[in-house]
Amino acid sequence: MNVEKIRQDFPALDSKRTRKAIVYFDTACQSLRPQVVIDAVNRYYLQEPACSGRSMHQWAAAVTREVDRARELMAKFLNASRAQEIIFTRNTTEGINLVANAFPFRAGDVVLVSDKEHNSNLIPWQMQVKQRGIELKIIPTCPDNTFDMDAFEALLDKRVKLVALGFTSNLDGVTIPAGEIIRKAHRVGAHVLLDAAQTAPHHPINVRALDVDFLALSGHKMLGPSGTGVLYGKYALLESLSPFLVGGDTVANSTYANCEFLPPPEKFEAGLQDYAGIIGLGAAVEYLQHIGFDTIRKQEALITYALSEQLKDISGLKIIGPADPALRGGVTTFYIEGVDSHRVALMLDQMANVLVRSGQHCVHSWFNARQIKGSVRASAYFYNTIEEANILAECLRKIRKVL
Amino acid sequence: MFCIVSFIVLSILGIFSASNRSLAKEALDCVLRRVTFRPCTTGFDEKMKAKILGVVIMRSETLARLLNKYFEALAWAFFTLLLASSIIFARGLYLFYVTGSCNGLNQAAFCVFDPSGANNQVSTFAGCLNGEGDISKLTLEGVNLSDFPTLQPESAYRVVLIGCYTCDYTRKVYDSVLTLVRRYHTQLVFLHYPVNEKNDFLSRLGYCAYQQNPEGYWRLNEELIHSDKAMLSELTNGPSLLSTLKPETNRFLEALVSEAGLDAGRVLTCANDPATEAAVQRQMNEIVKTNFYGTPTLFIGDQVFVGPKPYRVYAIALKGLFFWLRS
Ligand SMILES: Cc1ncc(COP(=O)(O)O)c(C=O)c1O
Repeated sequence: MNVEKIRQDFPALDSKRTRKAIVYFDTACQSLRPQVVIDAVNRYYLQEPACSGRSMHQWAAAVTREVDRARELMAKFLNASRAQEIIFTRNTTEGINLVANAFPFRAGDVVLVSDKEHNSNLIPWQMQVKQRGIELKIIPTCPDNTFDMDAFEALLDKRVKLVALGFTSNLDGVTIPAGEIIRKAHRVGAHVLLDAAQTAPHHPINVRALDVDFLALSGHKMLGPSGTGVLYGKYALLESLSPFLVGGDTVANSTYANCEFLPPPEKFEAGLQDYAGIIGLGAAVEYLQHIGFDTIRKQEALITYALSEQLKDISGLKIIGPADPALRGGVTTFYIEGVDSHRVALMLDQMANVLVRSGQHCVHSWFNARQIKGSVRASAYFYNTIEEANILAECLRKIRKVL
Repeated sequence: MFCIVSFIVLSILGIFSASNRSLAKEALDCVLRRVTFRPCTTGFDEKMKAKILGVVIMRSETLARLLNKYFEALAWAFFTLLLASSIIFARGLYLFYVTGSCNGLNQAAFCVFDPSGANNQVSTFAGCLNGEGDISKLTLEGVNLSDFPTLQPESAYRVVLIGCYTCDYTRKVYDSVLTLVRRYHTQLVFLHYPVNEKNDFLSRLGYCAYQQNPEGYWRLNEELIHSDKAMLSELTNGPSLLSTLKPETNRFLEALVSEAGLDAGRVLTCANDPATEAAVQRQMNEIVKTNFYGTPTLFIGDQVFVGPKPYRVYAIALKGLFFWLRS
């Protein structure tokens, strides 16, 4: 794979244009966008900036075609049975909230989550505890942060109606054995929702093979435009759910007293959508498929390995998650005992334009339970290079000597 | 402490750039302990410290280590220096406004606001006078001013100007002194001392003009102050006997006196009169008693201004800091 050639697809990495050689290690927050995605978004605004589905004119017809195409591309990307199983959202958070609010819970129903969920897959369930009297149970992970199947099974019973799990953790990059988890959950009649925000950009997902019921992802973490996302749901399930947000575009007809909802996905896509974003997301999917997940994973693994090897030698530095870099995808999260993580991140930025994330990465619960103040997360993607990993490591060695 | 220092520094830098303005705002929030808790942000001081360390570490790790260790102490030291220099700066600015010099009235030491020291320059003479250069000795006590030309003698307050027609600095200040006394209706007593001149001819000329017609005298004064110095040089440097003057100098002098509305013949005859010589000598002796050492020297109340000060300095001495609010 020619990383240098790939980097040319990303205008933000063009140091001649930006006049700064940025080392971008914050893909887990948002990935960079290739020119093809930017072009697709621009094309919408420049050529056919109209509504999809509502109007009849030529622009509207063109946008409708483009949005349908993006939906189909996404359905293929996830290997969904049909395009109607793809609901466009603003992000993963919205997808999870949709399920949390639309799922037919009854008081006493149990929802299982792990102990290292992103707030987006924790708070919506906490709200359901308050609003609908469900019970939220936390599955503890193993000491090395990998999924504890025994602990999961111990909590699994007939009262469990939904298992909502982060497919790949934004904290440490660990991907859970989703297939096995889903099989076991289905055995007790529970449905499974996967938060695939950190999976979709890095691993091929086959929703049919997984037999997953719901899966949420964010477009902006997988090269798509900001504020785009997808909720996949099995069609029959989606049909059975009540809509979450309602209004324009969700109904076929209405009287003063009543309405007739459209079938999925429309009944879940209330109001005017981010057409430019959706079209851009379609372009991102095509680009990802063109690069290929083998290439992506190989490059990420190289970088995570190189980083982990160098960070091992820095005194007082601890990497969160399993020791084996191969289990952490593109994520290397660490903290230095007694050193503020924000300070490290800001210094990296100042020293060599190295952009990383610091703090608790919206997984406050995990940090609070362990009384760890925060950490620095370097999340790599296929456009990162070994040289960049070396720059980061060299800066960290310097920082360690000083702080 | 660091927040305070940053706020001050960034506020000043904020004059030049918007990004510094927004940082200054963050620093103010930090000073007021008004931290906006965004999920993943950190305090302003922590942010700036990290940025500074990030810059220093690339140059010297030892320096960065020291900075990290003594950051707060250094912030204090910097703050103290900043405070001290701000006070000195503010004082200098105030003194410059009030006295025309950063270092206080008639102090000729370097001042950034008046780098050439123009407000303190004086014309001095070669000869010796009592108390030369000593501001503290300047006085009007025991000086008989009754014989000297007085403008607006009816007003109660008095301003006394020692000047010389051919001196650059008197010329620079004369008009603003006139404006001042007219605006605030005070007396102006003008003491002419020929600092630059080899003879006292112009003093005699002024003396005679005033004897003949006070109003004409003030007009002549203005003309002399504004006239071409080259034309006056024969009068002030030569033997000053009218009969020996070049015809064009003679014509120039006559025109000058006539234009002031005076009888040129009478005034010039009087100027050459030995009795005038004696009277002018008496005046000179009085002027010397002030211990002045250069022109212009201006007395306003109990304050003495040596050198050409900006108009506002005189106005403040006369009417206070907010002179522009008073009539
Ligand atoms: C694992 C995981 N879940 C959910 C989210 C929330 O994604 P979004 O902010 O796009 O809704 C993130 C974002 O970082 C994430 O990493």
